[in-house]
Amino acid sequence: MNDPVILLAHRQDIDAPLRGLHATVVGTRDAVHVACSKHRHGAVWIAPRANLFGLFLGGPSVRTKDQRLLVLEGLREQQYAFLRTMFRVIVPMDQEVRRLPREELLEVVAMPNRDELFIAGAVDVGDGVVTLYRGNLEPLVVPLDWFKASGTGVRPDPADFEVTDFGHAVRFGDYEASTHAILYAHDPKYRTRAKARLLEQDKSFGGALRRLRILKRLSLSEFPGVTEKEVARIEKGAVKKPHADTMAILAKRLGVKPEEISTY
Amino acid sequence: MPHELPLPEPWASKGWKAKIFDLEGPEEPHLTVRFRALKWRISLRSGAFLDREPPGRDVPPAVVSHVHDNLPALVIAWDQMFPKNRVLSPEPEPEGVAGKSRTKESKKRRQK
Repeated sequence: MNDPVILLAHRQDIDAPLRGLHATVVGTRDAVHVACSKHRHGAVWIAPRANLFGLFLGGPSVRTKDQRLLVLEGLREQQYAFLRTMFRVIVPMDQEVRRLPREELLEVVAMPNRDELFIAGAVDVGDGVVTLYRGNLEPLVVPLDWFKASGTGVRPDPADFEVTDFGHAVRFGDYEASTHAILYAHDPKYRTRAKARLLEQDKSFGGALRRLRILKRLSLSEFPGVTEKEVARIEKGAVKKPHADTMAILAKRLGVKPEEISTY
Repeated sequence: MPHELPLPEPWASKGWKAKIFDLEGPEEPHLTVRFRALKWRISLRSGAFLDREPPGRDVPPAVVSHVHDNLPALVIAWDQMFPKNRVLSPEPEPEGVAGKSRTKESKKRRQK
């Protein structure tokens, strides 16, 4: 179930896209304090402007379990330090965080499957990672070198990054990766849900091995120690239970634990 | 660069899009059709929808027909982008895979 969305705003500042969130609106100190008490387990807070954070002062602590905050304006350093004491995740709108256009972003946050779409992200070339924020503000960190060139030779350009297509894709230069592919590879819970949504699913171990191999863009012949034939036979289901040594080789090459292969 | 399938009017103007991304999920080859924050995936092997949600009936029949009409070109595009997950022939199979005889290596391993 999705966490509640709380809009930190004065009613007169709420425009049509914000109304589409169907969120609880809190714009006074009392209302903020009530919301903090009511949603102790977690909520998605959205602040269209960065001018109402003083309303948290003097009330119950919002620093409980899982509070996340999206600010649609830039934050001053001092504000950020203050908010860090209360929120587990803060998605600020500064130059380093690239986000969807405002209306698209709010439409994604209003979706029931907002946790399956990205709204923003930031590339850190130094550490070689991109941090992607879903519509429920949950971050996902993906190594940049995970984004392999396509078969046509198009390579991702981390210097030119954006979240696009209503959160269904991220773009690095001319290269676009589907959000589905990213979440399928990096979020086991998403993977389980995505597999359950398929109209026809191959639930066999071989099917899972094939999907993981394709995800890693490996061919049948790229498993040193296991022949191409053997990998193909496992994928086709001709080998019901691969030998433990074979499993270990496959898993190591695929970068997962042997027991994780069947989750793909 | 993703492979985009231009959609007919009025659907294109209304915001419907269809494309194959440079990085796609590992399921069978497919095209992603999108309208705002909703997306559907259509198999390039069968022309059928891959997922039960959202329902395929929500996609305008003219868009589905257009995708079906363009399947041959989409298949070529996909196979170029994903040579290890091809549409027609999943991957060149090594000889003897279809048979039931075990490979020498797997036999050796089992004899250990």
